[in-house]
Amino acid sequence: MNVLITGISKGLGLKTSESLLRNGWTVYGISRSKTEELNELLLQYPDKLKWLQYDLGDAEKIRQIIFKDWIGLDTPIHGLVNNAAMAYDDIVTNLNLDSLEKMYRVNVFTPMMLTKFVIRQMLLHHTKGSIVHISSISVHTGYKGLSMYASTKGALEAFSKNTAREWGEVGVRSNCLVAGFMETEMSSSLSDNQKNRIYQRTSLKKPVDVNSVAETIKFLLSDKANSITGQNIHVDNGTI
Amino acid sequence: MDNKMEVKILEIMNTVLDNRTKKKLTVLSPEMHLRNDIGFDSLDLAELTVRIEAEYDIDIFEDGIVNTVSEIFEKLNSK
Repeated sequence: MNVLITGISKGLGLKTSESLLRNGWTVYGISRSKTEELNELLLQYPDKLKWLQYDLGDAEKIRQIIFKDWIGLDTPIHGLVNNAAMAYDDIVTNLNLDSLEKMYRVNVFTPMMLTKFVIRQMLLHHTKGSIVHISSISVHTGYKGLSMYASTKGALEAFSKNTAREWGEVGVRSNCLVAGFMETEMSSSLSDNQKNRIYQRTSLKKPVDVNSVAETIKFLLSDKANSITGQNIHVDNGTI
Repeated sequence: MDNKMEVKILEIMNTVLDNRTKKKLTVLSPEMHLRNDIGFDSLDLAELTVRIEAEYDIDIFEDGIVNTVSEIFEKLNSK
């Protein structure tokens, strides 16, 4: 199994990569920076973990740099995890168009372009592949300051459902993992008070366990999930 | 029409048709319509594009729809 994952230097991307590598899968991981934790993982899995430094704000060079030069068209890809994202949080009346466009490039346009080329690679190799987009509970439950961010994830959910319908016929699946708030850098800009209020809105009243999210991603990528497509799978401590 | 290229394109088209358990072609002629004569649907055409691109490094659908066999050769010969 060869899986392409974005945003592997920390948080959920790192945990998911670890989990897939433990399973013996090969991980093609992309991130802007190399953290100490990522470096350790690279040393631990020198053959199975391939790393590329790439800024996902650049959707233009994806085909050439990621698919032709790095992975190579001869390599089948069985899974894609669109994990990398940026959070531009503010109330709507402060909305800055440049920040919004930048966030849409990283959170929406690049994942869509990656999906395009991954499906093309799956067609070339006749691979029954699985695509997992990381979405957010903010799409389904409103939070002050997250409307712009939530809108990018809502776009991904719609994209995923329609991708599933379009490509199911050739065996390609697409699902969204709707994650609740985890203790990762993505939510580091929130104050403790804000975080506590968010956790109080969940059934389990605590942050979502990153490992639980990572294991669910692994499940959705695997053949065990071969009847699941076009779904939003919530791993959110029961935000109801 | 370049004969070597014609043989290759026929081979690629038959791979796509075979993958979708559709009837394979014995000959290829320039006026053949990809959908109406050969029987490709949009997903078949996607696979065809990808396979041609892997061979010639040209995305035949990148700037507009291609309808006939001769239009494929025009795209491939124009680069």
